[in-house]
Amino acid sequence: MRWLRYLNQWRGTAKEALEQVSIVAKFLCLIHVTDRYIISSTHVQGPSMLPTLNLTGDVILAEHLSHRFGKIGLGDIVLVRSPTDPTRMVTKRILGLEGHRLSFSADPLVGDGSVSVVVPKGHVWIQGDNLYASTDSRNFGPVPYSLIEGKALLRVWPPRFFGSLR
Amino acid sequence: MASSFWNIAYQQAMRSGVFVAKVYSFLHVTTNYLAFPAYAFGPSMIPTLHPSGNVVLAERISKPSRGDVVVFQSPEDPNKLPTKRVVGLEGDSVSFVVGPGKNDESRTIVVPKGHVWVEGDYIQNSRDSRIFGPVPYGLIQGRVLWRVWPFQDFGPIGPPTTT
Repeated sequence: MRWLRYLNQWRGTAKEALEQVSIVAKFLCLIHVTDRYIISSTHVQGPSMLPTLNLTGDVILAEHLSHRFGKIGLGDIVLVRSPTDPTRMVTKRILGLEGHRLSFSADPLVGDGSVSVVVPKGHVWIQGDNLYASTDSRNFGPVPYSLIEGKALLRVWPPRFFGSLR
Repeated sequence: MASSFWNIAYQQAMRSGVFVAKVYSFLHVTTNYLAFPAYAFGPSMIPTLHPSGNVVLAERISKPSRGDVVVFQSPEDPNKLPTKRVVGLEGDSVSFVVGPGKNDESRTIVVPKGHVWVEGDYIQNSRDSRIFGPVPYGLIQGRVLWRVWPFQDFGPIGPPTTT
């Protein structure tokens, strides 16, 4: 019965610990909801969006509201879940909305062989600004609109490139 | 005094607001990471689901595999959430009849990487991958586990029932 008495002594501490944990949990929930549904910072890297985004990596602020209200338009830089690898997010520019007709060069290095395509309903056409080093809709086809998860707002790092993205 | 009435009213409002925010956060985390309810209707999943409507519970924990009934965002219309069965995973070879009423001509497609092939259990009246192509994994919202309503059919949703 002595262990019951020990437990009783720890009851006060346990209650306080639980309260502190619940405060932390509530704070984390708030951060999570903001990060997922309102605005978040993302580290993007790679050559596919040169010269708009740097090769070695930028931190950009992306908002997650526009795509829920259909306010994604031509020329927007968006964060999209990759259709070929669902664990990866890619950052590309929207060059075509549903119903648009697009012409692109199947192999930009060779220069010829232009292909024309109409973006189907419910899809968008995404392309990297650096046509020579980008895997995008020219490779995996138009992407369903629902895969868009955010719209890039501005770049916050490196500091000398701070500002809106165009 | 009038000012203390407004003070108390303000405090009550803040307390209620914080409480609502906590409940909402909890519901949100549960619905987005554990399980969520979905309303499925239409003839495409007969006999597994009723055409007149079912409320099902879908879970977001497991990765979808062959034979699972999944809820996903339609590649045709981002506002729709169809419910269909996963018939092929990436790399699988799927054969399907192009026009089930008209002729017997069939096509075979290899499901590309990062996609799944979904089909309704009632092939004759189902808008699925045979029409809009393979669905990227990123569009899948959850795997259907259990039917909650109508109550007389409360129970698990499992493999297709062979008639």
